[in-house]
Amino acid sequence: MKKLLTGCLIGFALVAPGVAAAADAWVFGLTGDMTGRDSANSGAAADAIRIYFERVNAKGGIQGRKVEVLMRDNQSEPSRAATDAQVFVNNDDLQLIVSASLSSTYAPTIAEAKRKGVPILFSAGVCPTEVFPPTADPLLFCTSGYAAEKDVEFAVDYMRKMTNGAFKLGLLSMAIPISRGGMEHAAKYSAGKNIQIAGHESAPPPTVNYAPYATKLKDAGADWVLSWAPWITQVKTFEALRQQGWTGKFITYGHNVAEEELKRLKDPGLLVFTTNAMFSDNQPIHADIQAAAAGKTKYPHTYLNEGWIAATVIEAALKKVAWPPSRAKVAEAMNGLSVELGGLRGGAIVWSAQNHYRQDLYYRVYGWDSATNRVKTVADWVNKPVN
Amino acid sequence: MLIYRVSRVLNLAHGELMMLAAYLLITLTTLFGGHPLSALAGAVALSLLVGLVLYVVLMRRMTGELVIAAVLVTIALGILLRGVMVLGWTGRTYHPIEQLGWTNKAIALGGGMTISSVALASVGTAVLLYCALFGFFQFSRWGVRMRAVGENPLLASQRGIALHATYALAWALATFTGGLAGILIALDSGLDTTMAVVGLKAFPAALVGGLGSLRGAIAGSMIVAAAEVLAIHYIDPLVSDVVPFLVLIVMLLIRPWGLFGSEEEIERV
Repeated sequence: MKKLLTGCLIGFALVAPGVAAAADAWVFGLTGDMTGRDSANSGAAADAIRIYFERVNAKGGIQGRKVEVLMRDNQSEPSRAATDAQVFVNNDDLQLIVSASLSSTYAPTIAEAKRKGVPILFSAGVCPTEVFPPTADPLLFCTSGYAAEKDVEFAVDYMRKMTNGAFKLGLLSMAIPISRGGMEHAAKYSAGKNIQIAGHESAPPPTVNYAPYATKLKDAGADWVLSWAPWITQVKTFEALRQQGWTGKFITYGHNVAEEELKRLKDPGLLVFTTNAMFSDNQPIHADIQAAAAGKTKYPHTYLNEGWIAATVIEAALKKVAWPPSRAKVAEAMNGLSVELGGLRGGAIVWSAQNHYRQDLYYRVYGWDSATNRVKTVADWVNKPVN
Repeated sequence: MLIYRVSRVLNLAHGELMMLAAYLLITLTTLFGGHPLSALAGAVALSLLVGLVLYVVLMRRMTGELVIAAVLVTIALGILLRGVMVLGWTGRTYHPIEQLGWTNKAIALGGGMTISSVALASVGTAVLLYCALFGFFQFSRWGVRMRAVGENPLLASQRGIALHATYALAWALATFTGGLAGILIALDSGLDTTMAVVGLKAFPAALVGGLGSLRGAIAGSMIVAAAEVLAIHYIDPLVSDVVPFLVLIVMLLIRPWGLFGSEEEIERV
């Protein structure tokens, strides 16, 4: 019996992901939603990070040492994320945790990581408030593009600029606090700008039929509809509006799936604003990502920008750390970092001790150009300072 | 409902089986390239085969066991199928109608009302399918056998009816009809992992109408759908997902066996 138990323990140590890690490598753990309800977003980000470091390793690693990425699927379940974090923080070789899943998984991950002083980088999901200035948590960092209130302010300003005179604005959210809060902020921010709010519809997360929400927005006479929600809520309501003959304009946050969706829908009335440059820009970095991802992911390469940005930042941070690495050294490196993203965003990600989000946000608006039959930039980078 | 009517097993993997047929369509569309009808026919045929295989491989072993055990097996099956589908097709949203090269145009019905062409086709398909099932159960030999097995399996068996073949046919027909529904929904509004929710919503309709009753299924669907639409229009769209279950609770309080069910049937559930 004793032998059997010993054998099992040895076997577990050999095969369990996240347990065994090479002591002469950079090691970080990724807890992400690879097969859950956010997998199209978070799973693509996780794939991008994996592909990025496979390429880094193929080129000799960082400071001559390989980067080992320990990946665990949390399916956006808080309990699974907590288990992942426990496994990671108890691995003494591990220097960093990357979280790529829904915000519901953040609390247990943060609790475990802070207990053992492990820095966490949030990618693909919404940034936790602890990363924002002026009092950023020393262990928490975020590269995600989203920032509900700043995002909707940009969108409201854009609609105001593009429309003469008064107009009616319909608001659409998913019935989750961050999305509803974003739209409520949009309603407040629109006050005094000659914009009449024509209703705020909020769809619950597992909605199948979006026609009712579309009907209400259409009946309210919305000229524009603004949405800041998961992509499925945004696009299905837009499609339901068009099915009902609505001819207004729909502006919405451009998640990683947005570029493929613009190509699919081919509707010039659908505009997406985003902090990430789309692959339609054809910059060298886009060709680079496409080449690196060929045959290595189930997702379209246009889904990979969020994960690629996170990986670029991780590489930049690790390059600043003197060997041998430690959790404290990695956190210290991330506390003062400036990373150029080669055109993937409008500007660099700059972190200081007070700000683990970024100093400036840059927005672009993309849409479909029927004349050239391609995705086009409708409005070029607009800077909004974070502070 | 078909499975329940014949074997008294409530199939709680119904939504996942609907979803599976739609995912099979995605794969077949890629395989068959420019032959959309072949892909469509293939997916429907495969969903029939899936039901048959599921019965032979899995549910057959549950014969003679407690009904609750068989129901639990269907729950496990649903979880397994969901996992397999995400692994195979990822959690991204697919739009099979575009892959088939078709468009889903809006059709004006007058009075400001519109309906999508796929939704209209879905209504037509539902009517045809209902008539076909009615005819099958009333007039075909296998339909009568299925009713007999549903009524009294022991007596039916003693009269020479092959129970396993009948149950297998019920599973095949159920996955076929469910798969067809899943395909039509996916064609109308895209396909992602939330489709299983539609399957869940079918239960209030079936239970309100009375489990095991074809007439009840229609009446239950109409009542649940009307309640949902009225709630959306006069209360709040947010309550639309709750309303079917509220209707179900009300029905369970006043007539637990549903509109067209019998007291004996609900006791078995």
